[in-house]
Amino acid sequence: MSSHSSSHSESQYPADMWVLPNAQRMSWDVGGKTRSIPSLYKLVLIATGVLAVLGVVGFFMRLSADGFSANGHGPWGYYASAFAYVFLITGAAPLVSVAFRITKSHWRRSISRIAELFAVVGVLNVILYIPLIFILPSINNPNFGAGVHGELVIRRTIWMEVPFGAPHLWNFLGLLALAVTSLAILWMSATPDMAEARSSATGLRKLKYNLLSGHWYGTGRQWNRQKANLAILGALYFMTLIFVQFLIVSDYAMSLIAGWKDSILPPLYTVTGFQSALSLILIIAFVMRRWGGYREYIGISPFWAASKIQLGLTLLWTYHLFAFFITFWYGRLEVEQNLLRYLLFESYGPIFWANLLFIFFIPFFILMWNPIRKSDWGPALAGVSILVGSLLFHIRMFVGAFNAGDIYDLGLSSVPPAVFPDIWDVFMVIGIIGLAAFLYLVAAKVIPILSIWEVKEGALYQSKRRLFHGEYMVLAKPE
Amino acid sequence: MAKRPILGLFNDANAAADAGDGLKSAGVSEKDYDFLTDAPYPEGAFGEREEKHRLYIYPFVGAVLGLTSALLLTTMSQMAYPLVTGGKPIISLPPMAVISYEGTMLGAILFTVLGIIFESRLPNLKKGLYDTRITEGYIGVLVNAEETQHDRVADVLNQAGAVDVKRQS
Repeated sequence: MSSHSSSHSESQYPADMWVLPNAQRMSWDVGGKTRSIPSLYKLVLIATGVLAVLGVVGFFMRLSADGFSANGHGPWGYYASAFAYVFLITGAAPLVSVAFRITKSHWRRSISRIAELFAVVGVLNVILYIPLIFILPSINNPNFGAGVHGELVIRRTIWMEVPFGAPHLWNFLGLLALAVTSLAILWMSATPDMAEARSSATGLRKLKYNLLSGHWYGTGRQWNRQKANLAILGALYFMTLIFVQFLIVSDYAMSLIAGWKDSILPPLYTVTGFQSALSLILIIAFVMRRWGGYREYIGISPFWAASKIQLGLTLLWTYHLFAFFITFWYGRLEVEQNLLRYLLFESYGPIFWANLLFIFFIPFFILMWNPIRKSDWGPALAGVSILVGSLLFHIRMFVGAFNAGDIYDLGLSSVPPAVFPDIWDVFMVIGIIGLAAFLYLVAAKVIPILSIWEVKEGALYQSKRRLFHGEYMVLAKPE
Repeated sequence: MAKRPILGLFNDANAAADAGDGLKSAGVSEKDYDFLTDAPYPEGAFGEREEKHRLYIYPFVGAVLGLTSALLLTTMSQMAYPLVTGGKPIISLPPMAVISYEGTMLGAILFTVLGIIFESRLPNLKKGLYDTRITEGYIGVLVNAEETQHDRVADVLNQAGAVDVKRQS
C-alpha cells in the first residue's frame, strides 16, 4: 500500500460513500420518521390523490363514450399503455430486493424496502387489469365464415389452441399470483421492523402491528425461517414475473398487430422493466437521502453499485432494440417493413426517437462517467430520463398495437396513422401513475421504508479500519 | 410441572454466548433456550444448535400438483375438442407449455404461502416474554424451564453478565 494512501474522506471516494448507522438509535429514529407526515409529504399525497381522481374521471368518460367493446378496443390504447407501464415497473421493483439479497450484495440493504413496498401497487395492477379483460378482442375471428378471404379463423397468439380460460383467466391468475407473492415477501421482510414498532405504537397502528407481527420475537428459528422463506418466495416471484410480463406484452401488444411475430419483444419488455424499476428505486432513494432525513442510513455506495447495473441494462435495452430492428429490416417482408414504418420510423417515428433519446442516449452519457455514478444525483437523474423513455416506449407499443387495424388480417398490409391522446386519455395516464404513487406514499407511512433489521445486520458485518495511512471499509462475509 | 419462560438480557453478544455455554453446562437442553435478537446474527454465533427446516418441501409439492393439474386440464381439453391446428398432433406439448408453466408456478406459490403460515404457527395470539431493549441491540436469552429451576437458571444468566433477568408475571 502506498504511503500516499489516505482515508476515504480524503481520497477519490465521497466522505459518505459508506455509512455506519447507529444501530441502537435506528429503530426509534426510523419509527418516528414513519409515523410523521411532514407538510411537503402531505402536499405530494394530495397532488397524487388529485391525479388519481382525474384518472377515475378520465376512465368513466372514456367508458361512457366508447364502452367496453372487444371490437372497439382502439380507444383504450392509452389505458393499456398506462397499465402496462405501471405493472412493468412496479412488478419488477420487488425483484431488486430479491435478486440482490440472493446474491448477498451488502450495498442493497438500505434500498431493499424501497423495492419491496411496491408490492402494495401489485394489488392495484390486478384491479387495473380487470377492464382489459373486457377490452381484449376475441381470439376467434367473429366475422369469419364461408367466402371470407385473407383473414384468419383464429388470430395468432401464444394461446395456440385456445385452451380453457385463455387468455383472460391465466393472465388474471398470473397477476394475482404476483401480487400475493410480493405481498408475502413484503410481510416476511417487514415483520421484524413492525415487531420493533409495536411497543411504541398506539391506537390503530399498534393493533395493525400486533396483528401482522405479533408472533415475532426474533428467535434464531424465526430468523432462519425468514431467510429461507424470502429466498423461496424470491425465486418464485422472479420465475412468475418474467412469465407474466411475457403474457401481457404478447396478448396486449404483439398479438394485436396482424402478422407481428417477434421473439425479441418479450425480452425487450422485461429489460425495460428491470431498467425502469431500478431507476425508480434510485430516484426514491435519492429523495429519501436528500429530503427525507435518511442520509445517515443511505450512503453513496448503493447508487454507485446500482448505477453500474443501470448502465448495463441501458446498453442491454439498445442491444435488444437493435436485434428487433435488424431482423425485420433484413427480413424485408411487406408486414415487416410496414411494422418498422409504423412503430419506428413513420407513424410513431417522433415518439420512437424521443424514446431512444430518453431511454438510451441521455442515461448512457450520464452513467458512462464514473464520478457521476459515484454520486447520488447522477443515477437518479439518469433514472428520471429512463422513466420518461419507458413511458414513451409503452405508448408506442401499446397505443400502436391497439390501433393497428384489422387484427384478424394475415399481416399488416398498410401503415396506419399514429393515434394521439385526447383529454380523457391524458387523465387516465396521469391518473393511473398518480394512483400508484399515492398508494406507495401511503404504504411508506404504514411500513418503514428503510429495512431496519437488514441495515442493522449490515452494521454487524462492517467497520472502518486503518491500514497503513488509509482508513478503509472492512466487510465480514459470514457465508 | 409446566415449563415457564425466563429471559436474560445482555448488552454484549459475547456475554450472551457465554450464557448459552453456561446453560449447556448446567444441563439445560439446547431445545429449551433461544437467543432473541433485533437482527439476524450469523448461524452459530452464540454456539446455538443448528436450525433445520423443511420449507422447500412446500413449493416442491405445490409445483408437482400444479403441473399435474395443468397437464390434465390441457390434455383433457384437447381430447374433448379434437381440432387439428396447423397440421400438428391433437395432443402436442408446445401448446400445453404456457399453461403447464403457469400451473406449476401457481401451485408452488399457493403451497409456499400456506407453508409459511403453517410453519410460523399463525395465527399466534399468545404473548411471549419479551423486552423492548432487544430492539436497541440487547441480546435476549430466553429459557424455558420448570419453575423450580428458575433460580438456578437466573444464577447462570447473572454470572454470564445479564443486565436484567425477567420472569413472566
